[in-house]
Amino acid sequence: MIEVKNLTKKYGDHYAVDHLSFQVEDGQIYGFLGPNGAGKSTTMNMMTGYLAPTAGMIKVNGFDIMEEPEAAKRTIGYLPELPPVYPDMTVREYLAFCAELKRVPKKERLSAVKEKMMELGIEDMANRLIRNLSKGYKQRVGFAQALLGDPQTLILDEPTVGLDPKQILEIRELIRNLGKKHTVILSSHILSEVSEVCDRVLIINHGRFVACDSPDRLEMGGKGGTTLLVAAEGKRADVLAALRTVVQVTDGDLTEDQGVVSASIDVPDRQDIRGRVSAALFAANCPVVEMRTKKANLEDVFLELTEGEEQADQDDQEQTDSEAEQESPASDKEEPKLHGEEEQKEDQA
Amino acid sequence: MRAIYKRELRSYAVSMTGAIAIAVALLIMGLMFRNYNLSTYHLLTFSYTLNNSSLVFYIVVPILSMRVFAEERKLKTDQLLLTAPVSVGQIVMGKYLALITVFAIPCVITGFYPLIMLRFGKETIKWDYSALLAYFLMGCAYLAIGMFISSTTENVIIAAILSILFVFVTQMISNTYTLMSASNFAALIFLVILAVLAGFLVYFMTKNYWAAMITISGLSAAWLITYAIKASWFSGKTEAVMKVLDFATHFNDFANGSFTIPNLLYFISAGAIGIILTIQSVLKRRWS
Ligand SMILES: Nc1ncnc2c1ncn2[C@@H]1O[C@H](COP(=O)(O)OP(=O)(O)OP(=O)(O)O)[C@@H](O)[C@H]1O
Ligand SMILES: [Mg+2]
Repeated sequence: MIEVKNLTKKYGDHYAVDHLSFQVEDGQIYGFLGPNGAGKSTTMNMMTGYLAPTAGMIKVNGFDIMEEPEAAKRTIGYLPELPPVYPDMTVREYLAFCAELKRVPKKERLSAVKEKMMELGIEDMANRLIRNLSKGYKQRVGFAQALLGDPQTLILDEPTVGLDPKQILEIRELIRNLGKKHTVILSSHILSEVSEVCDRVLIINHGRFVACDSPDRLEMGGKGGTTLLVAAEGKRADVLAALRTVVQVTDGDLTEDQGVVSASIDVPDRQDIRGRVSAALFAANCPVVEMRTKKANLEDVFLELTEGEEQADQDDQEQTDSEAEQESPASDKEEPKLHGEEEQKEDQA
Repeated sequence: MRAIYKRELRSYAVSMTGAIAIAVALLIMGLMFRNYNLSTYHLLTFSYTLNNSSLVFYIVVPILSMRVFAEERKLKTDQLLLTAPVSVGQIVMGKYLALITVFAIPCVITGFYPLIMLRFGKETIKWDYSALLAYFLMGCAYLAIGMFISSTTENVIIAAILSILFVFVTQMISNTYTLMSASNFAALIFLVILAVLAGFLVYFMTKNYWAAMITISGLSAAWLITYAIKASWFSGKTEAVMKVLDFATHFNDFANGSFTIPNLLYFISAGAIGIILTIQSVLKRRWS
């Protein structure tokens, strides 16, 4: 159980984390989502006692991280953004050191180290210098370190960064398994990862709370719901009239290009109206040339939610508005053009 | 603490820095011993050897201490230490004990030299060992300060240069007493310069511009007023202030047979200040 209340971190005049509050129940996998610079790592650094908050409270498994740091830290395993490994040690030496640091009793140390190496698939690397390991293996060594001492809570900052697709699947499976016994908080900007692994997702932007819900509910809750994209030949007015017999549409939903009229229709209540739309257009003598439904996925919701935030304080950050123009979600009419603020890291899996 | 102590010792061993530091110390002290006690000068007191071995600190202190915290910060392994269930005090002490363990090795080996001199007579043997103790404690004080310097930066080169500078100032300052004008006005100027330095220190510690300005102007004003009222108060103040930093003279007092508690305490408190400042500096970083 982790309680975070009004957590704030100020760097100069800039809020890296701004009055953030949330709770993580035991046995849940909690996803921490936000674009670059949203404050994910800063929040995690404060939760693990590495950074001191400017204001606010953090309670980890009943211990206040500021007041009883050692008791609280004993219950946390932390994998920071960069694995905190010593290049001049071998994997085994390093993990043995971590085990002692985390107060694993002397008798159990060797077996604990061995067990974690097995779990992360790094037994073969046991006697290699960490300096010589590839990035993915360093990441796994860092992960093994976080598991030592069997902490109740695992805090993982972008645990799959630097891994190859096969390893990503393995690590996700591992996280899912760990989630059965531990409380896990992981940060990511890979949306599919979060929606696949996490029970709940917390979205933050510019250090502020944006949304928190289960991935399914977030997807459904997006303004878009389902969107139907239709393209038909014919006059704009005819198409509009035909569509109006089936659903509510405005002229603004339509675009015309070389005699083909395309419409993007918000479908209420997730109905299936494809048949009726097709029939209506056929009756109006406007042959349908293309039709597809587009469900709002977490990606859209994410962009939608963080976009609104960004408009509120664009000057807040030296945001390079990379013109990664994504397929606009259904709510195009209310929102100005979307800017892909988020680094579109595709899930290679 | 044990885990950190062992890891540090191990890293001194595998990175060779420990071996280099020990070899340098033994080489310099051995040469000086040969010069002053065995051949060239044939002096009977071992403290001359130690007195002329201050070069050891210029090399050993930066080699051993520059990486202690600076490297951890660069590698981000401080995230591991500071989120582990150990206190900052334990982390600092674990590292410090490893530092002085390495430094103790050449000191213990050098401890056999006075025995070689036994054939010249044993009157001075008590002095010899009290001088060696003072030498060791001076080294411990330097290492604590060096560790503090290392905790303030991510750059090991800067850490090394600053600790060499510190050794230089504390070894050489006694030579400047005669250069310093004894006038009260000169003392005033000196104290104002110190106030400015204090201001920089305050700014460095708090990153607060106003606190620094208040420190500088407050101290300077206080001294100007004192000077206006009673200029004679400033006589001898320059030297008194500089004595605080004068490691060499304190060592000499000690080595020349006056095994006094204040001199002993001087080095022990210098070491303690270094440790406390290190802990503060590591804790402070969390708030920045
Ligand atoms: N030491 C620091 N000094 C000043 N500003 C900082 C410092 N550390 C972080 N910040 C700022 O705080 C904000 C949050 O950074 P943080 O690293 O927590 O983001 P993040 O969500 O982890 O991003 P990413 O996805 O890139 O890892 C950023 O705007 C960053 O510039
Ligand atoms: Mg981050």
